Amino acid sequence: MSRPFRAGRHGVVHVDIPQYGAGLLASLARQLVELLSDGEAVRDGEGDPLEEILTIDEPRETPEDPALRRLLPDAHRDDVEAAAEFRRYTERGLRDAKVTDALVVVDAIGASDGEATGGLELDLDAQQARSWMRCLTDMRLTLAARLEVKAGDEDYWAGLPETDDRLPVYEIYTWLGYLLETLIAAASH
Amino acid sequence: MRPDVERRGADTQQWAAMTASPESSTIEREETEHVVLPDVPWVTIVWDDPVNLMSYVTFVFVEYFHYPRTKAHRLMMMVHTEGRAVVSTGSREEMERDVQAMHSYGLWATFQKADT
Repeated sequence: MSRPFRAGRHGVVHVDIPQYGAGLLASLARQLVELLSDGEAVRDGEGDPLEEILTIDEPRETPEDPALRRLLPDAHRDDVEAAAEFRRYTERGLRDAKVTDALVVVDAIGASDGEATGGLELDLDAQQARSWMRCLTDMRLTLAARLEVKAGDEDYWAGLPETDDRLPVYEIYTWLGYLLETLIAAASH
Repeated sequence: MRPDVERRGADTQQWAAMTASPESSTIEREETEHVVLPDVPWVTIVWDDPVNLMSYVTFVFVEYFHYPRTKAHRLMMMVHTEGRAVVSTGSREEMERDVQAMHSYGLWATFQKADT
């Protein structure tokens, strides 16, 4: 199997991923868009109407979903107020940036004629390559949060029986790590 | 992009090292606080997590902060072995920008006042 990412000229990265892998990536990227578009703080409809018009609409609460909490972490460890304030002013922009990265992946895969070539083959410019890196990272963070991956737990996962239904997800997680590693190598060329 | 941050950090460290003589600590300390506080009172900290690849963290430090590869690698190793590393120093506004950038790359970062 050829390397999924190779360095081209002038910072271009060649992508060569089998069709099933490309389909999986597009699906994960779309799920990421969905995850990041949902669950934003909703106005509760109580309190001073003027205050609501002026101040609401921006999230202040740390997300409860572990995956969202990792993608949109608190910017302060001890100061809850400062963390809420920071979130209020930045979380929307951070969500938008992550969605934009994910859509770069979705669009690239959608635009390529994978059916004809039997796989995903395209070139990414330097900016697109960065979007792919950040998106692959967000996918890994999300899956790791769902799987509750811990530091140094490789033996645990290697020892799971083949019937464990987390195993296919863990294999996707490690595959995404392989993709990211080769993409970094190609982009650092 | 932000060439001043690292320079300023290096200058401060050098200055602190030069004035760290044991016999005159009181006066020097007052001077240190007087000089350093208005200039570089905030830091961005990147925390270790079990997911992010070492190569990726190094890449981000080079890419965003424009640190030399050796410095980026050293900071990454500090995150990895000590659980955290101060990756930039500057005004609160600058640190907020750095933290948001780190979050956009998927790194776990916080900002706080220096030495608290």
